[in-house]
Amino acid sequence: MGERRHFRAMKKFLPGKPDPSPEKDRAKKKRERIAIGIVAVLVAGLTILEARLGAISGKVGFTSNIIIFALININVILIVLLIFLVTRNVFKLILDRKRNILGAKIRSRLVLIFISFSLLPTIILFIAATNITTTSIKSWIGGRVGVALTSALDIARGSLEREAGNLSVVADRAATAVLRKGTKVSLRDSLDAARRGLPSDVSLLLVSQTGHAEVSGGVRGEIAEEIGSRLKGEEGTIRSQDVTTIVGESYASAVRHLPDGRAVVAVKTIPPREAKRIREIANTYDEYHQVRLLDDPIRASYIATLILITLLVVFAASWMGIYLARQITVPVQMLAEGTQKVASGNLAVRLDYRSDDEFGHLVGSFNRMTADLMEMKKSLEDANVSLSATFEELRRRSRFIETILTNISTGVIVIDRGGRIAMINKVAERMLAIKTDKVLGKPYKEVVREEHYDVVRTLSREVGEMPGKQVERQVDLTIGTKRISLRVSVTALQGDDGEYMGLVVAFDDLSQAMRLQRIMAWREVARRIAHEIRNPLTPIQLSTERLQKKFAASHEDDSAFSECTQTILSEVGSLKSLVEEFTRFARMPIPAFKEGNLGEELRVVVETFRTAHPGITWEFEEGEIPPVWFDPFQIRRAVTNLLENAAAALGKQGRCVVQVGHEPARGSVRVSVGDDGPGVPPGDRDRLFEPYFSRKEGGMGLGLAIVSAIASDHQGTVKVRDNVPKGTVFEIEFPVRPKKEG
Amino acid sequence: MRYVAISLIFLGVLVAPGLSAAAPPKPRITDIHGQAKGRTAHVQFTLRNAFTPGMMEALKSGIEISFKTVVRVQRHHRNWFDTTVGEITFSRSVRYDALSRVYRLNRGKDVELLPDIFTALAGMTRYEVTVPLYHEVTRGKKYRALVRTRLDKVGLSDPLRSIFFFSSLWDVETEWARGDISAP
Repeated sequence: MGERRHFRAMKKFLPGKPDPSPEKDRAKKKRERIAIGIVAVLVAGLTILEARLGAISGKVGFTSNIIIFALININVILIVLLIFLVTRNVFKLILDRKRNILGAKIRSRLVLIFISFSLLPTIILFIAATNITTTSIKSWIGGRVGVALTSALDIARGSLEREAGNLSVVADRAATAVLRKGTKVSLRDSLDAARRGLPSDVSLLLVSQTGHAEVSGGVRGEIAEEIGSRLKGEEGTIRSQDVTTIVGESYASAVRHLPDGRAVVAVKTIPPREAKRIREIANTYDEYHQVRLLDDPIRASYIATLILITLLVVFAASWMGIYLARQITVPVQMLAEGTQKVASGNLAVRLDYRSDDEFGHLVGSFNRMTADLMEMKKSLEDANVSLSATFEELRRRSRFIETILTNISTGVIVIDRGGRIAMINKVAERMLAIKTDKVLGKPYKEVVREEHYDVVRTLSREVGEMPGKQVERQVDLTIGTKRISLRVSVTALQGDDGEYMGLVVAFDDLSQAMRLQRIMAWREVARRIAHEIRNPLTPIQLSTERLQKKFAASHEDDSAFSECTQTILSEVGSLKSLVEEFTRFARMPIPAFKEGNLGEELRVVVETFRTAHPGITWEFEEGEIPPVWFDPFQIRRAVTNLLENAAAALGKQGRCVVQVGHEPARGSVRVSVGDDGPGVPPGDRDRLFEPYFSRKEGGMGLGLAIVSAIASDHQGTVKVRDNVPKGTVFEIEFPVRPKKEG
Repeated sequence: MRYVAISLIFLGVLVAPGLSAAAPPKPRITDIHGQAKGRTAHVQFTLRNAFTPGMMEALKSGIEISFKTVVRVQRHHRNWFDTTVGEITFSRSVRYDALSRVYRLNRGKDVELLPDIFTALAGMTRYEVTVPLYHEVTRGKKYRALVRTRLDKVGLSDPLRSIFFFSSLWDVETEWARGDISAP
């Protein structure tokens, strides 16, 4: 029962032994049917054989035979079953070993040990029993038993012969009486007369020529019949008037043959007890001779029986070994398999094995352990789900914040409570010309450049670690060669519980705004100057011209007059030109945007300069640009200004490259004008776009200011940088389609 | 268990030598003749080669040897199957009595005590039997007797019988022998 339970448990449990597939099930059933068929054929065959051979079973009764047949059949079936089971299990064990199934090795070792321990004593016992049996049979049939039995039979027979010899006188006398009888006297009377005086166990018999008892004087029927039969068989061998003896197991007799062929027999009946003894001696004698005759078959039968018993013991021991081994290895195998499953992550493993022994406790502990692990895993999974959701939410928020921080024009740096830089957005990275991966996680004091440290220290001191406190300052910093104005806002972060969490530093680049403000201021100044200067210039010019007309003739000899008036007119002309430029700068119209081909517009401008300055190499490179919304007049003017500057910088020869490109990521177009001239000193770059800053002789310093104003009016920017290997590059960048203001 | 062992061993022990040794003369029935009259048929025949030397030895050792014989009388048809008109089955056994020094020949009805083995063997091999028929024979028609004999029992002493009762010590069985019998 226990074994079957184990098998069920293993069937349910083993992964390598899942529920058998229909094909496997059919194959198994087929094998079982074949096995049953073979057993049935064996049983039927053996039964027929037994029935056939049983016909010589002698005096054994029919009922006994049936019972013996049944017992033998049961024995045969049991032996066949036992052999089948043991063989099947041994083969299974071998297969399990080959397949490296867990527990197969220890099971095979245990079975081997069991078989070895049972086989050795059994074989010794078998050899000893065989020797004893053989020796016993040999000593019985080959010793003096035969002599003793022959002597015993001779003695018994001699005793009977002596008794018979003693009866010869009686037989002789009875024969005389029979021969002398007269006609008036019957044979019976004659025999009765002869019997008178004889012991009671002695009787007389007259046997005819055919062996039949003619007259019986007290002789038992079967004895008389036997004597008659023997006399008939000895007919012709005995001479007339001889006295012979005939003995049987229950009688001794003397026979007196008469001349007419008849015989008178004196019979002495042996007492039943003596007759029985004589019979036993005779039977033992027969048995002895039969055993001698069948010596070898008898010995073979005993040896065969011993072999069968030996085999039975061996098979039984093997079976027991397999059973016990399975008792031990099944739970071990289950545990091993279970452990493997647990190791592979399956915590739902439950071992179906119940027992009161240590294995039962072990399996119980294993089941409790997996249950606990399962529960813990579930808790962890729940926590993980919760954490994942929280993490996802945080990540979403973080991404949202990052998106905001990336897209705003304000630079942001977050410093944690330990003073380490926790975050830098792209704008801050660009503004401060720093690499996020090099500074992230580092203390800001280590990262801040030496020249900026005072500013940072002042701001951090002002904020201190007071949660919620905010300080805002405008500071001017030099980043590389560029000086920028920043509005810096430092806020101390406050956690939910009010504690200090760090700092958020936000800063806006005010350089562009300030530049625009300056331009606007200059425009106003220019407008007023133009207004104030233009009005007196015309009267001055007219008056001077009148003076020349009126007094030219009278002062022909006075060169001073003509030179002075000419100087006045010349300067008035210059002032008019100046006023005209101021007016133009101050009255920059609002751009008239329309969609057009930017490249075509600029190509025309470049062609103009190519004609005007043939010594300079003018190159125009146009990328793929979409239709752009711009004011063609203003853009042409801005580029013209840049080309004029380039031509002035290059002089008579040099190379100037105009590139027009599209920046899809930013949704803008970029126009760059690069020359290989002497370049712009770094110190002048900040002021290049301010009005009245010029490094050219006679320059008014309004060209780049106008460029900057046009770029600004197109919602764009203008930048200057060094050309490689030498020279300067100006870049105007403005949106493909300007945003509607207001 | 022991019987199974004996069965299995004797199958090997007795059959194997029979296969390997020189084949002894096969037992057979000869000299079948007789006469059918009325509702009986008298059939005589002789059993030859029935006693091997081993059987003779066994007989002298007191082992009872018994033959079972079947005598079947058939009406012979030239162009049709023969029909059985009578059949008899009987046993005849012989055993040596060492005390009386006689052979006890049992013919079924009575026991004959015979002084020597030759007489006993003659009694076991010469047969004269009367077969009762199902109906009267037809005069002038052809009849024949079919006879078959096989070793029936080997009477061992009780202890040996328990060992050997499953196995046949000798394999004695004749083929069916045929002989015409007259129907005057």
